[in-house]
Amino acid sequence: MATVTATVGHSGVSALLKNLRGHRAVGKLLLLAVVAAVIVPVLDSHWASGSWPGALTVDLSAPLGRASEWIIDNRDSHPLFLYFFGYVSSAVVLSVRAVYVVLLAAGWAGVTAVAALVAWRTAGVRLALGTAAAFLACGLLGMWVPTMQTLALMVVAVLASVLLGALLGLAAGLSDRTYRALRPVLDTMQVLPAFAYLLPVVLVFGIGVPAAVLATVVYAAPPMARLTALGLRDADAGVMEAVTSLGATARQRLLTARLPLARKELLLGLNQTIMMALSMAVIASVIGAGGLGDRVYQALASVDVGAALAAGIPIVLLAVVLDRVTGAAGERLGSDSGATAARWVYAAVSALAVALAGHLTGRLDWPASWTLSIAEPVNRVVDWMTNHLYSGVPYIGGTADWAGHFTTWVLDPVRDGLQWLPWWSVLLIVAALAWLIGTWRTALTAVLAMAAIGVLGVWKPSLDTLSQVLAAVAVTLVLGFATGIAAARSERVERLLRPVLDVFQTMPQFVYLIPVVALFGVGRAPAVAAAVVYALPAVVRITTQGLRAVDPAALESARSLGATGAQQLRQVQLPLARQSLLLAVNQGVVLVLAVVIIGGLVGGGALGYDVVFGLAQGDLATGLVAGAAIVCLGLMLDRVTQPTARTTKKGA
Amino acid sequence: MSTTTGTPASTPARTPAGPPGSADAVFSVDGLWKVFGPKAERVPADPELAALDPAELRSRTGCTAAVRDVSFDVRKGEVFVVMGLSGSGKSTLVRCLTRLIEPTAGAIVIDGEDVRAMDKNRLRELRRHRAAMVFQHFGLLPHRSVLDNVAYGLEIQGVGKAERREKAAEVVAKVGLEGMEQRRPGQLSGGQQQRVGLARALAVDPEVLLFDEPFSALDPLIRRDMQEEVIRLHHDEGRTMVFITHDLNEALRLGDRIALMRDGRVVQLGTPEEIVGSPADDYVREFVRDVPREQVMTVRTAMRAASAAEAARGPALAPDATVSEAIEVVARSGDPARVMDQGRCVGVVDSAALLGVVAGADTPAAGAPDGPRGEAA
Repeated sequence: MATVTATVGHSGVSALLKNLRGHRAVGKLLLLAVVAAVIVPVLDSHWASGSWPGALTVDLSAPLGRASEWIIDNRDSHPLFLYFFGYVSSAVVLSVRAVYVVLLAAGWAGVTAVAALVAWRTAGVRLALGTAAAFLACGLLGMWVPTMQTLALMVVAVLASVLLGALLGLAAGLSDRTYRALRPVLDTMQVLPAFAYLLPVVLVFGIGVPAAVLATVVYAAPPMARLTALGLRDADAGVMEAVTSLGATARQRLLTARLPLARKELLLGLNQTIMMALSMAVIASVIGAGGLGDRVYQALASVDVGAALAAGIPIVLLAVVLDRVTGAAGERLGSDSGATAARWVYAAVSALAVALAGHLTGRLDWPASWTLSIAEPVNRVVDWMTNHLYSGVPYIGGTADWAGHFTTWVLDPVRDGLQWLPWWSVLLIVAALAWLIGTWRTALTAVLAMAAIGVLGVWKPSLDTLSQVLAAVAVTLVLGFATGIAAARSERVERLLRPVLDVFQTMPQFVYLIPVVALFGVGRAPAVAAAVVYALPAVVRITTQGLRAVDPAALESARSLGATGAQQLRQVQLPLARQSLLLAVNQGVVLVLAVVIIGGLVGGGALGYDVVFGLAQGDLATGLVAGAAIVCLGLMLDRVTQPTARTTKKGA
Repeated sequence: MSTTTGTPASTPARTPAGPPGSADAVFSVDGLWKVFGPKAERVPADPELAALDPAELRSRTGCTAAVRDVSFDVRKGEVFVVMGLSGSGKSTLVRCLTRLIEPTAGAIVIDGEDVRAMDKNRLRELRRHRAAMVFQHFGLLPHRSVLDNVAYGLEIQGVGKAERREKAAEVVAKVGLEGMEQRRPGQLSGGQQQRVGLARALAVDPEVLLFDEPFSALDPLIRRDMQEEVIRLHHDEGRTMVFITHDLNEALRLGDRIALMRDGRVVQLGTPEEIVGSPADDYVREFVRDVPREQVMTVRTAMRAASAAEAARGPALAPDATVSEAIEVVARSGDPARVMDQGRCVGVVDSAALLGVVAGADTPAAGAPDGPRGEAA
C-alpha cells in the first residue's frame, strides 16, 4: 500500500514537473535553491526575518515633501513653470474651454445631430440611431452638461494623445533603434494602473483640468504609439518591395504605401486611445476633471448609489458609442468607394442646419422639464436591497454576509499569510515564479520591483494590495476559464456571451464600482468583486479564442483515435492553448490590479487609499510613494506572469 | 554533341555569352555575387572561400552565397529565363539587377551604364523607366482600385492624374481587365491580380520587364493562360523580358534562352533545345529527363546530310520545325523529309533520326551554335 502511494506520489510530482517544462524547470529551481541557501542565512543574520527590515528602507517622504513644496512655492516664479509648464497648462485650459464653448453653442440638438451623422457616415444607419439615442439618454438623465464637460476634455485629450502617439509610433515604425528603445517603455506603461499616473502630473500642475488632461494623454497615448509602430513595421514586405521596384522615393513609400497599409492598425489605435482616454478622463475626476466622473466620484464618496448610477449610465453609453463607431470605421475600410466626399458634405450641411435651428429657437440647453431623475427610485431599490438582501436571507445568506465571509475567510488569511512570510521568501517566490514562466531577465525585473517596494517603506500596504489581487485573480481565473471552456465548446454559449462581453469590455474601470457598492457596501470585498467583474470578460475572451485557435487537424486526429470530449480538452486543447492561457492569466492580473487600486475609493484600503488620501490631504509625498509602489507592483505582477520564454528572443 | 564546350551560348558560368555590354545586350552581368552574412565581401574576394560548397562556406564563415559568380547577357528583344529550384538563388539574382538587393561583387551593365555605380537618383530613374518588375505575390496596394494600382508607377513619376489614368486604362484593356477598373485587388482572383501586376509594370513602358516567378502562386489552368498572355505580349511588343521560374515547362515554353541555376551558380545557359538536347552535366540531365524531347528539339538538330536524290524530293520542313511536327510529316508520307532553309535543302530527317531524338540518343549532327528557339508548344 505504501509503495503504491509512493509511486503515485512520485509520478504525480514528476508529471507536475514535466508540466513546468521538464528538466529545465528543475534546473532553475535547483539553482535558485542553492543561491537561496547561501544568501538567506546572511540576510537573516544581518536583518531579522518577518516584515521588510527598517534598515533597508529609504524614507522618501521628507525629500518628496520638500520637492512638492518647492514646486508649489515656485510654480508662479520659476522660469521652467513660467515658460514651459505654464504655457502647457494654459494651452490645455484654453483648448478644453474652447471645445466646451463650441459644444454648448451647438446646443443639445446640434451635438446629437453631428454625432449621429458622423456615426452614420463612418458606421452606418443602425449605429447612427444608437448614437442619437445615447446622447438623448444622457440629456434625459439630466447629465447633459457633465457629459459635455467630459466630452470637451476627451476631445482635447484624444487629439493630443493621437498626435503624440502617432509621432512616437512613426519614429518607432521607421527606426529600429527607436523601436527597441520605445517598446519596453510602452509595454510597461500599458500594464500600469491608471492611478499611478495621477500623482506626478498633480505634482507639476496641481489639481485641475490641465493635470487631468495631461494624465489622460500620458495614459492614452501608448496604444496609439504601439499600434502605429506595429502597423508601419508589419507592412506587407512584398508590396513595399514592389513599390520600391517602381522607383518610389522614401517619402512616396511612406505616404502612398506604408501608411495606407497600416490603416487598420491606425484605426484600432484610435479606438483604443479613445477608450483609454474615456476611462482615464473619468478616473481623473480625482485630480480635478469635472464632468461625469466627478459626479460618480462625489456620489460614491457619500455612498449615493442612485446619483452615481445616473452619472454612470452616460459614461457607459458614451463608451459603447465611441467604441462601436470607431470599431465599425475600421471594419468598413475599403468596402465603399466613390461619392464619399459628397455624402460627407451632405452630412455636414444637415448637422449645421440642425444646430442653427436649435440656435434660432433658443433651445441650446437641455430643457429642464425633460429630465428624468432616476436617483430617487434607484436609491429606494438600493435601500430595499440593503434591508432585504444584505443579510439574513434564508439558506444563502445575504450579499453583505458573503462580503464579510469573503473578507474573513479569504482576504484576511491571504493578507496575514503574506505579511507573515519572511521578506526574503517573498522575493524568492517571485523569482521562482517569474523564472519558471519567463526568462531570467523577467525574474530579475520582478525581484527588483518587489525589493523596491520594500525599500520605499510600503511593504505592508503593498502586500495588502497584493492579497486582494491574488484573491481576485484566483476567482477571475476559475470563473473565466470555466466560462471560456464552455464558450469554446458550445457555439450557443458563445453567441449568448458575445454581446455581454462586448459591452463589459468597453466600460471604463470606474463604472464597475457603482454596482458593487450597491450590492456589497464598502470595504475590500467590493473592491475585489469589481476587479473580478472587470477582468473576467478579457479572460473569458482570450481563453475562448485560444481554445478555438487550436489546430483543427490535431483535434481531428484526436477524435479519430476515439478521444472523449474531456480527453480532447485535457490532452489536446489545453496543452496547445497554453500560450493563450498564460496570456489570459497575465491580462487578468493586470486588469485586476488596475481595479483593486481604484478600489481604494470604496474602502479597498492599502495603496489605492494612500493615493486618494495623498491627493485629498495635499500630502503628495505619501501619494507619490504609494504611486511608485503601484508601479513596482504592476511591473512585478506583469513580469511574473509574462510568458516571454523563447518567443521574443529576436526582439531582445 | 555530347559536351557543350564548343557552343558559346551554352557554356556554364564564368565565360559570359558575349563581351559585357556588347551591342545587342540590354543587361550584361559579369561575375555577380550576392553573399548574405557577416563580412560578406571577403567571400568573393578570396578564391579559397569562393570555391567552397554552400555547407562548408556556412560552417566556415556563417555566410550564405545566394548568387555565385554569375555572368550572362540579356539580348534586346529576347525572353531570358532563369530557372532553378527554390533556394537556387534565382530570385536574389533578379533583384540584384535593379539593386533591390545590393550585390556583393561583380558588374551589372544596362545599355552600357554601370548599375552598381549609379547614385540614388540614377537608380530611381532606372527603376522608374527602364526596368519594371512583376512579383510572385503581386505586391498590389490593397487600398487602391485596379486603375490606381496600374497608374501607381506613373503617379510616383509625377505624371498628372488625367494622363496617368488614361494610360492606365489603356494598359488595363491590354491585359484583358476591362470593366474591373474600379475594383479593389482583394475582390479579384489570383490570375486577375497578376494581370494587374503585369499591367502596372507595362504602364511605365519599361525597356525590360522582370518577372519573379509571376505565375507560381496560380493554379495550372490560369498559369497557362497567363503564359500565353506573356507570349502574346512579347510577340506584339518585342519587349525584352527576364523571367524567373522554377517550372521547367514554363521555362521551355517561354524562353528564348534559359540559364539553369543550382546553388547560386549557372550550371548551363542555352536555348531550350540545347538544354534538353545536350545537358551540361548529370544534374541538368536529371532535370530534363521527363521533358518530351520531340516537342523541344528541332529538325535542325535531328537532320543528317542529304544525298542528291533525297535533296530533290520529299516533303519540306523549316529548320526550326519541331521533331514532333517532323514525325507527323514523315509518318504521313513514308519518305524522309527535306529540311529547307531559304529554298535550299540543308539536310534530311528520316524516321531513324527522329526516333533517335525521341529515344534520347545523341543526335547525329551538331546543332547550330545559336539555334533558333524551339517552339515548345
